[in-house]
Amino acid sequence: MELKDFSYARTILEQYPPERRFLLAILQDIQKHYNYIPRPILEMLRDYLDVPLSKLYSVATFYKALSLKPKGRYVIKVCDGTACHLKSSQSIIDEIKKVLKIVPGSTTGDGKFSLETVNCLGSCAVSPVMVINDRFYGRVTPSRVREILEEYGRLENEQTWK
Amino acid sequence: MSKHGNRTILVCCGPGCLSNHSMDVYEELKARISQAKIKAEVKTEVKATGCHGLCEKGPLVRIEPDDIFYTGVKVSDVPEIVEKTLLNHQVVEKLLYHEPSVGRKVISPKQTRFYKKQMKLALRNVGEIDPSSIEDYIHRGGYKALGRVLSELSPDEVITEIEKSGLRGRGGAGFPTGWKWRQCARMQYYPKYVICNGDEGDPGAFMDRCIMEGDPHSVIEGMVIGAYAVGSHEGFIYIRDEYFLAIRNMSHAIEQARDKGFLGKNILGSNFDFDVQIVRGGGAFVCGESTALMASIEGKVGEPRAKYIRSVERGLWGKPTVLNNVETWANVPVIMDRGAEWFSSIGTENSKGTKVFSLVGKVQNTGLIEVPMGMTLREIIFDIGGGIAGGRKFKAVQTGGPSGGCIPESLIDLPVDFDSLNNAGSMMGSGGMIVMDDRTCMVDVARFYLTFLSEESCGKCVPCREGIRRMLEILNEICEGRGQPDDLDTLAELGEMLKEASLCGLGKSAPNPVLTTLRYFKDEYLAHVNEKTCPAGVCKNLTVYYIDESQCKGCGLCQKNCPSHAVEGQRGQPFAIDETKCIKCGSCMDVCRFGAVRIRGRDKSWK
Amino acid sequence: MEIIIDGKKCEAQYGEYLLDIARKNGIHIPTLCHSDALPGQATCRLCIVEVVEGSRRRVVTSCVFPVTREVEVFTNSEKIRRMRKNIIRLLSARAPKNEFIQKLREEYGLLQETRFAVDEKENCILCGLCVRACEEMGIFAISTVNRGIEKKVSTPFDEASDVCIGCGACAFVCPTRAINIMDENGVRHLWNKEFQLVKCQKCGEYFTTREHQEYMKQKFGEDNNYTLCEKCRKKAAGEKMAECYRI
Ligand SMILES: Cc1cc2nc3c(=O)[nH]c(=O)nc-3n(C[C@H](O)[C@H](O)[C@H](O)COP(=O)(O)O)c2cc1C
Ligand code: SF4
Ligand code: FES
Ligand code: FES
Repeated sequence: MELKDFSYARTILEQYPPERRFLLAILQDIQKHYNYIPRPILEMLRDYLDVPLSKLYSVATFYKALSLKPKGRYVIKVCDGTACHLKSSQSIIDEIKKVLKIVPGSTTGDGKFSLETVNCLGSCAVSPVMVINDRFYGRVTPSRVREILEEYGRLENEQTWK
Repeated sequence: MSKHGNRTILVCCGPGCLSNHSMDVYEELKARISQAKIKAEVKTEVKATGCHGLCEKGPLVRIEPDDIFYTGVKVSDVPEIVEKTLLNHQVVEKLLYHEPSVGRKVISPKQTRFYKKQMKLALRNVGEIDPSSIEDYIHRGGYKALGRVLSELSPDEVITEIEKSGLRGRGGAGFPTGWKWRQCARMQYYPKYVICNGDEGDPGAFMDRCIMEGDPHSVIEGMVIGAYAVGSHEGFIYIRDEYFLAIRNMSHAIEQARDKGFLGKNILGSNFDFDVQIVRGGGAFVCGESTALMASIEGKVGEPRAKYIRSVERGLWGKPTVLNNVETWANVPVIMDRGAEWFSSIGTENSKGTKVFSLVGKVQNTGLIEVPMGMTLREIIFDIGGGIAGGRKFKAVQTGGPSGGCIPESLIDLPVDFDSLNNAGSMMGSGGMIVMDDRTCMVDVARFYLTFLSEESCGKCVPCREGIRRMLEILNEICEGRGQPDDLDTLAELGEMLKEASLCGLGKSAPNPVLTTLRYFKDEYLAHVNEKTCPAGVCKNLTVYYIDESQCKGCGLCQKNCPSHAVEGQRGQPFAIDETKCIKCGSCMDVCRFGAVRIRGRDKSWK
Repeated sequence: MEIIIDGKKCEAQYGEYLLDIARKNGIHIPTLCHSDALPGQATCRLCIVEVVEGSRRRVVTSCVFPVTREVEVFTNSEKIRRMRKNIIRLLSARAPKNEFIQKLREEYGLLQETRFAVDEKENCILCGLCVRACEEMGIFAISTVNRGIEKKVSTPFDEASDVCIGCGACAFVCPTRAINIMDENGVRHLWNKEFQLVKCQKCGEYFTTREHQEYMKQKFGEDNNYTLCEKCRKKAAGEKMAECYRI
């Protein structure tokens, strides 16, 4: 595994008293900071909260907001809430899958994009909606997908792609 | 037009308008006004508010007290607004809302059917105030009810008032709030907790979010009143982590309330102590379920437990706990302020007051609405919602999210209240209302919800985990053209069992989307199973798109919008779709203005 | 208090669980996730019964349903049998080759599942007893992982757990014998980990793992004879007692 500086995790931990009830909050802060829950930090947390590793692992795999694998630099969230689904969000997802060659829940080989589906973003009025990091795209059509993704620089498999 | 007093410009910064860049409009208005200040004869204040409701036409800007409302405002429109409206008292014609019922543009929101038919109690301040200002809230009568409760009423009197109001929980099942409080108040062990459920897991809904973002103090005030009534000193607000603005506004509101003495020790000199804190949810629909939510607050996996012993007796950390939904809490101050009698005069026999809905899907006016209970679906969808978008045909409306069901056109005059919806096989849920047209496949809708639920079930009990998985497996088969004659019976039987034998409400209500579509749209299932066609043209394996040459005007819009370059032909002449390249996204059909793009079943002989 | 189960009058204590009352009265209700030692799982839902109270008729899970009123109970009504059949159908789609599930399937007259995609190697029904047993041991080596249809029981990161002592309590409580535990040539294989087995000092049979033995010694002290297998320990205790009486 790559060497990384996990010292900031300690700072996060110490903002909370060592009580079980703060577990989820701590994990969320760690997820936000590191983009995932690194294993060494999970072990650090075991010692800090005195909660068995199996329980931490159970929690970390239960909640969708937490991920044990690093996410890409750009996280593409396609809304597949009910309103967006009715307005063909599935074809947006299909198109991204085709262009980036990844399925929802995974990351491109170069670590650039992660694809996720999310529930209602409250912007049903401009459905279907997708968000890349914090940027909003409304009324997306499959034909706009490529153009939008290219705003984030060249796509990895550009050459091989006819 | 008024020339006296202050003028306020309310810029909608609800989720819909924000994604339409209303924050830029807000910043631009502020900048321009401070530049133009010397010339204006009235003090003008710009406020970023919560959702105004008519998200479809956002970004929305309202100017008070002139009572002007503008729609679709862009940054480039700001100079004109400042110049014309603010300095010269003229309206900017092109930004006015076109009211279809009168066929012309109107100036005031009150002239629109969208707003006229609504009644705002829970949303009373949303869109009217700056949510970061406790002064705004107080100015509109906020915390008055709390003051009266603490100084004049005993806890028992508060509960009696809530009972008399007939308030039922807005989070799903419609449990009588007063009764819940009464049971908790009776428990003689401490500490007790009150919780606000702001998890809002319904994948097509954003009502609670808009309340928490747009009027956080109404929830806090409700919770303090509730805590006083049941004898609790500590509360939690459980908010979905994705709702960062709701979390921010709520945290800010809590601090302000503490500063002003509405939270903390000895509230308003009454000797009553109460404080709340926010817990961020971890992204799990099941955590909206009361016992799972409590497990989650405790820092555990959000798995429900059997509820033969209720939470009011043994809830959070095994202590008596009252859990209510955001909207339920927001209603409490209004009831205490205006009285149970007044509140219970609104609504129907068994469903009192109003209900907030997020009205979305294939409807003209997507948005956030609040209506008196008992209003019919027709009034909501056609009068407020403006009917179906694109002039298509209404097919069904879904209420209650993944726990609810689809209601067909034949029941369009159904009054919307807890019992009528239950009888129709659906439920009120927390207030998602999704309108569907003839381009919506009901089997796909059922499959959509089950896919969602298969990921969201906690997986603890067999009926829910295995039942949803297998029902979904069957629906997938049906949508892909491999449905078998027995499948519909299997779906119905498994559904019946899930409803009774699952451990928690998630599993118990999970079959509803399937059972209601089976009940009202059986023909559509049969078309998938027997004829291998999808009448709505949604299930890709069962659909072939083609262009009807006699209708095609050769405009080329379809060609332009096809992501797969499957449309062949020259402008001015009828186009054709190359089936081998078609990825069946339906873009062509959605953009064609002449109805020339058609669908037929997979079997070529069928046309 | 008296309740009626399937027409039979049964004596009941306030708060007593319905399943326990039925069993005491010789009424059979099928269960999988229920263990007297570790009650309260309520995950398999096989033990559903109908409870009638006045005009109210509802389905409850008997293993966790506390009796607080004089009610009438039907453990085998047509409705219950139909629903139970569907639960068994789901279980047998999950664990098609499991002997315990097969037995239930036969008892309820169900055919081998054909409509659903099945995994013939699966035996776990996720009742959760193994996790509970591990917790009760105070070890916490395994837990449930993921949620919904992806849920499973495993060690963290699916790796050999550094806290697991190989005691096998999990395998012991499993109602479907789904846990792979294998003792071979003095080595126990469990949860991706290998353990050295130790021999009973008396009979010389392998009886548990070194880690388990150490753990018990630490927890309960040296003098508790953790060097003997259960049989020999009982025998030793018996002999000791006999000796006492002789004196
Ligand atoms: C699977 C499931 C999800 C739920 N999600 C929510 C939710 O997101 N928000 C909510 O307020 N209630 C939700 N509920 C209902 C709550 O369990 C609970 O009944 C409600 O919050 C009580 O508040 P009320 O009486 O004010 O409605 C859910 C219930 C179930 C079974
Ligand atoms: S019904 Fe579903 S969500 Fe509820 S306990 Fe069972 S598996 Fe979990
Ligand atoms: S469903 Fe996608 S924004 Fe609401
Ligand atoms: S024995 Fe009661 S649910 Fe399994």
